[in-house]
Amino acid sequence: MLARVANNLFWMGRYIERSEHLARYMNVNYFSSLDAPNDISQSRQFVLRSMLFVADEEELKETKELEEQDVLFDIGLNPEKSFSIVSAINNAQQNANGARDLISTELYESINTLKRTVNNYDKNRFVKNSLFDFTTMITANVASLRTKIRGTLLHDEVYAIIMLGIYIERANQVIRIINSKYNDALIEKVNFGSSLTKSYEWTTLLKCVESYDMMRRYYRKVPTSHTVLDFLILNPHCPRSIMNSLNCIHSYICYLSKDEMPHKDSAAFLIGKLKYEHEYKTIEDVQGDLKGFIEKLVDDLSLVGEKMDNDYFSLY
Amino acid sequence: MKAPTSLPIFSSYEFDSRFYDEIFTKNNEVREVYQTLFNLFSEYSVDDFVNLNDKAKDAFFNQGITFQVYSDQETKEKIFPFDLFPRIIGNDEWTKIEKGALQRSKALNLFLWDLYHDQKIIKQGIVPIELINSSANYLKQMHGFNPPGGVYNHISGTDLIKHLDGEYYVLEDNIRCPSGVSYVVGNRSALKRTLFGVFNHYKSFNVSDYGENLLEVIESVKPKGVDLPKCVVLTPGVYNSAYYEHSFLAKQMGVELVEGRDLFIENDFVYMKTIKGLERVDVIYRRVDDEFIDPLEFKKDSLLGVPGLFKCYMKGKVNLVNAPGTGVADDKAIYTYMPQIIKYYLDEEPILNNVHTYHCSRPDELKYVLENVDKLVVKPVDESGGYGISIGNKLTKEEIEKVKETIKESPRKYIAQPIMSLSTHATYIEEENSFEPRHVDLRTFTLLGKDVDFVLKGGLTRVALKRGNLVVNSSQGGGSKDTWVLKK
Repeated sequence: MLARVANNLFWMGRYIERSEHLARYMNVNYFSSLDAPNDISQSRQFVLRSMLFVADEEELKETKELEEQDVLFDIGLNPEKSFSIVSAINNAQQNANGARDLISTELYESINTLKRTVNNYDKNRFVKNSLFDFTTMITANVASLRTKIRGTLLHDEVYAIIMLGIYIERANQVIRIINSKYNDALIEKVNFGSSLTKSYEWTTLLKCVESYDMMRRYYRKVPTSHTVLDFLILNPHCPRSIMNSLNCIHSYICYLSKDEMPHKDSAAFLIGKLKYEHEYKTIEDVQGDLKGFIEKLVDDLSLVGEKMDNDYFSLY
Repeated sequence: MKAPTSLPIFSSYEFDSRFYDEIFTKNNEVREVYQTLFNLFSEYSVDDFVNLNDKAKDAFFNQGITFQVYSDQETKEKIFPFDLFPRIIGNDEWTKIEKGALQRSKALNLFLWDLYHDQKIIKQGIVPIELINSSANYLKQMHGFNPPGGVYNHISGTDLIKHLDGEYYVLEDNIRCPSGVSYVVGNRSALKRTLFGVFNHYKSFNVSDYGENLLEVIESVKPKGVDLPKCVVLTPGVYNSAYYEHSFLAKQMGVELVEGRDLFIENDFVYMKTIKGLERVDVIYRRVDDEFIDPLEFKKDSLLGVPGLFKCYMKGKVNLVNAPGTGVADDKAIYTYMPQIIKYYLDEEPILNNVHTYHCSRPDELKYVLENVDKLVVKPVDESGGYGISIGNKLTKEEIEKVKETIKESPRKYIAQPIMSLSTHATYIEEENSFEPRHVDLRTFTLLGKDVDFVLKGGLTRVALKRGNLVVNSSQGGGSKDTWVLKK
């Protein structure tokens, strides 16, 4: 496979995954806040700030009053904003276009049709009363794209590269969402004196990454900071957990590098190291310094991206 | 003449008896081959057609069969207009086209071999040497070079029209980088999505076997010493208006689609840059014109090509499809010698008609042309895409004088032909919500390899969407139709 095209496939995977997390984060936070248990978690400003925090922290630097319709437009449909859902979909389509001969007709056509739908979406309708319709349309379409990736492509290097993009992005998004909800819970604690351990934000967090039902089956108890973080970070069976993503990234990168012993500067080596480090971590280790853990993981994932660039895409 | 039907969708169908109408005979009857389709269409209302037309457009947009148009403000995605009324070609009619197109491709290939070797046809005075000497498309570097498999024009596009006499005439041969084949397949798939019901009533050949035949052809001309050749398609990139076609062809053949920057040359071998390092490339189906393929040999500022590629080709380490330098044989001046070229190399009579041509380089013919500009189509010899053409009966007196002056300035640059009357075909016109007759032509696609050849059973019917317009090129606002070749 051409190095240039591999780069396109990798980013196609990342942007597809990114758009889904953004859409679900908007949806869950907005609608959970409507009947949230306290004034802060019900506050529109609080919710909008949380959304912008996940989309792009930089946007929050100016501490001004946020307009709901502006924020929704910027995150959902503003093509001028690089963090928006429409930009993610457009980028996914452009990358798919650059690798068009390698992906299936079915997958290309679905991405292309989604791009057209999103770009033709009525902006006024969206910011006034279609947040739910729009975001569920995105999540449903991304699910269908994933099915096409799994079901219409040969499970070879092309597939492995796309899946690497998907799982690196998933780990990235999930850790950012954990970070955001942890911050929200802290704010509630500071302003409202509510319990950090039993905050409503943990439930919202689970829903943001579509893991609420799984978690209930696993623990059968009201979510607490301890169980939620354990589940979303370290449980290898939860398909949204960091551990699961690391395992998948490791297996796809091993597929690409075959049986060769990875060089210590390679992406494969770093991923292997990360995987095993996390496998033997306990939630107590993580909670001891959650902020430090999150920052380190974000840095490590970005280093994996750089090394992949070096190992696979740099010939281009 | 008004169409002999009360169908609302044909309410503004008025055909001109100066042209051959593909649907209606001069006696106002629907031609036999169209009868079933016509009856099926009569079941649709105007609203149905508006609806179907929108559906067809969606099919193209969703499949990404589009090209980009750039302006200062924004980038727009566009589709080539597609028409819902298919063109149908009967089996006997097709057999002649197929044989004729193949005959021309073979003759052109032998002609190219001769031009780049002994030039017997010139020495024997059949084709004048000035045509070759003055041609900007004759590549001196190719002289004496033997392309792998002995093939120059692996892919040929033959443009045909049907004249008032009901006969097909070849308007031109395209043997550089003929394009459009992806639209043959795309049009079929769009029509199947919109009007699937009509296919039950006709037995037509399918057109989806082009890719596999193309791969067979380009693999057959692998360089010496290569067992399993690695073939690629070379594209100028995603911003090229034919990018869809390039990706389509690569995908149909299951080969890589590369850009110049993906290729790398070492020790006269061509490699592509993959995730596993460098991988050797043996055959390049290049969709980049001659002058851009190698900045060291041709246009110095070309960013689309690969520095050193031509040298690898000359050393026989890689094959280029089509061969560089084919342009010398498909210009409009050579066209006029096609009957003699076919006779000379194949000892056969041409199966397809050539349009009679006047050479402005010959004094007596120049005289005739200057006296009859109003009855002729005057064409520059070396322009493509329908540019620089003047059609006599559309010109004002002043314009005629201007054309005469231009010809007199450099007669060698121009040829003239009688105004051929391109046949008309029912075409859905959005502004009118109705079918109207529009001029059409037909491009067929022929493949030549080492001991293997193929003609795609179907073709690209291009349609001039402006009323009365004879120029069907997509760059000048033309659209296209699905084209059915019927089985016996």
